[in-house]
Amino acid sequence: MHDIADLERRGVVGVFLASEVFAEAARAQGAALGFPAPHVLVPHPVQDRTDAELREVAERVHPAVVAAVTAAPPGAAGDDRTRRSGG
Amino acid sequence: MTTVLDPTGERRPAERAPLPRPASLRGRTVGLLDIGKARGDVVLDRLAELLAADGATVRRYRKPTFARVAPLDLRQRITEQCEVVVEALAD
Amino acid sequence: MQLPDGLVAVVKRDCPTCLLVEPVLRELGAAVWCQDDPDWFDGDDTSLELSHRLGVETVPTLLRVDGGRETARTVGWSREQWAELTGVPGLGEGLPDHRPGCGSLSVDPSRADALEARHGGRLASRRVQLADLEDEHEALFDRGWTDGLPVVPPTPERVVRMLRGTTCDPGEVVAVVPPDLVPCTVEKVAVNAVMAGCRPEHLPVVLAAVEAACAEEFALHGLLATTYFSGPVVVVNGPVAARVGMNSGVNALGQGNRANATIGRALQLVVRNVGGGRPGEVDRATLGNPGKLTFCFAEREEGSPFAPLAADRGVPGDAVTVFAGAGVQPVVDQLSRDAESLARTFAACLRVNAHPKLPLAFDAMLVVSPEHGRVLREAGWDRTRLLAELDGLLRLPAGELVRGAGGMAEGLPPGAGDGDVPKFRPGGLLVAHAGGDAGLFSAIVGGWVAGETGSAPVTREVRV
Repeated sequence: MHDIADLERRGVVGVFLASEVFAEAARAQGAALGFPAPHVLVPHPVQDRTDAELREVAERVHPAVVAAVTAAPPGAAGDDRTRRSGG
Repeated sequence: MTTVLDPTGERRPAERAPLPRPASLRGRTVGLLDIGKARGDVVLDRLAELLAADGATVRRYRKPTFARVAPLDLRQRITEQCEVVVEALAD
Repeated sequence: MQLPDGLVAVVKRDCPTCLLVEPVLRELGAAVWCQDDPDWFDGDDTSLELSHRLGVETVPTLLRVDGGRETARTVGWSREQWAELTGVPGLGEGLPDHRPGCGSLSVDPSRADALEARHGGRLASRRVQLADLEDEHEALFDRGWTDGLPVVPPTPERVVRMLRGTTCDPGEVVAVVPPDLVPCTVEKVAVNAVMAGCRPEHLPVVLAAVEAACAEEFALHGLLATTYFSGPVVVVNGPVAARVGMNSGVNALGQGNRANATIGRALQLVVRNVGGGRPGEVDRATLGNPGKLTFCFAEREEGSPFAPLAADRGVPGDAVTVFAGAGVQPVVDQLSRDAESLARTFAACLRVNAHPKLPLAFDAMLVVSPEHGRVLREAGWDRTRLLAELDGLLRLPAGELVRGAGGMAEGLPPGAGDGDVPKFRPGGLLVAHAGGDAGLFSAIVGGWVAGETGSAPVTREVRV
């Protein structure tokens, strides 16, 4: 989150992926940093999954990642796993 | 906690806002920053394929340790080379 | 908080008069708030909020309250006045007839600003809480509120102090600021003046500069949006300049003087933050100039061959003049002993303003130094005379100005005529006097596009 906060300051559009268990930590950290960095949550756990399962995770979060770093077309509904601040 | 008064015309939110987003990733350079946790690379490998299929140029970076912020030279390198960065995967 | 009906008093234990009247207050059954000891009476006003709200300046203060509203007040101890207010005769047996009170803690200078900021309710600006881990200086950069240099965080306390520099109401609208055409209050100017590093005494000058820069004829929107170099240059006249510590002498156009630097910067921050005029957005300058951070100086009226610039423009006394200026061009003449020769030097240097072949296109300001000024003064030349001489010397033969002449494509379109063309439009050349005692140098501050499509200088009174 610190990295994304800093990279956005430098002009790079950013998002980070975190496991669902980090949802609360990410929210709290965003509030403390004054910058709720855009993030996408992935289902926990990660480390004990097979490669095939992890590739499937990537495929499932891919639309949310793209949505987090692109401007949604007017009227498009946001993905509920994607938090974006500052509207 | 410091309180300051908004110096602006107050026509925009006073929070620090994320940067404006590009309309799409086509033709953009996207950096994938691996924070170095086990198995995160498998997710990023597949994500790299999907983003490349979206028309993005994908570059890969890796932090020395997930326990600290990325070193300055790495952040500077990403800034020079990328328009978008995806950092993964904290679990 | 609703005051209880009956008698209400504010005291502090550190005040001998309050100690003296303690038995009287207890006998009267008054509701008493104490400023420095929460346990002395039932009421605890160690936060000083009640004292501030009631405008208590002296303790003890005794009030009569009816229906939640104050109907009578007396301060200090006076048997006669207390009897009148309470309707109880013969109070305080054994006490002297009269004893003055002490200063209320709520008007102690070290606490008053914070109290005003916290409870004053005069400030209308949105309050922004910075997050715990945010460095306050970084936080202000992150929100896009700075010109690239650090700013002083505009805390409510600092803004309250800044507002003491003016008698204007904080809610008064000073100007409508381009490009977003936002009505800008005295308070918003004060917030940006804090950020710029101003002292409260500088605020009236900043207010006048904002007012002048937002006048229709200054064309600030166009000045911002142009690809040209210019930005507002502020020249200050009148006793206010020296009084607030401005520099009109050595290095007058340079760094190192707080008043010059911060007044000019405050104007630019107002344009950026209130008006929304940010580089790369509305501000499309190709190169810009470093004066767009700040460009403000006082005219050196002492020893000047000229009347004060603002006075010559119809505003005597304390005043600011804004000019759409772009950087500083040196004028060197170390040999001219007479005004005629010096004027020729000025004219030769002014001729190249923007381009030697472009007449009537760009304004300029000539800043005459004291050593050059002495030559003019000894010849008895005032501003009008100098401008008249320069006008004569700056009649350019049209044939030299047409496109292609001198091997340069730039120039006037063919058919521009055979006669002479003046370099400057009437009123397009300003002359001021500033600088250190030594140095046979003057300066040309190139201006922006002249005339209807461009900007005209504006002078406004500084209301102290």
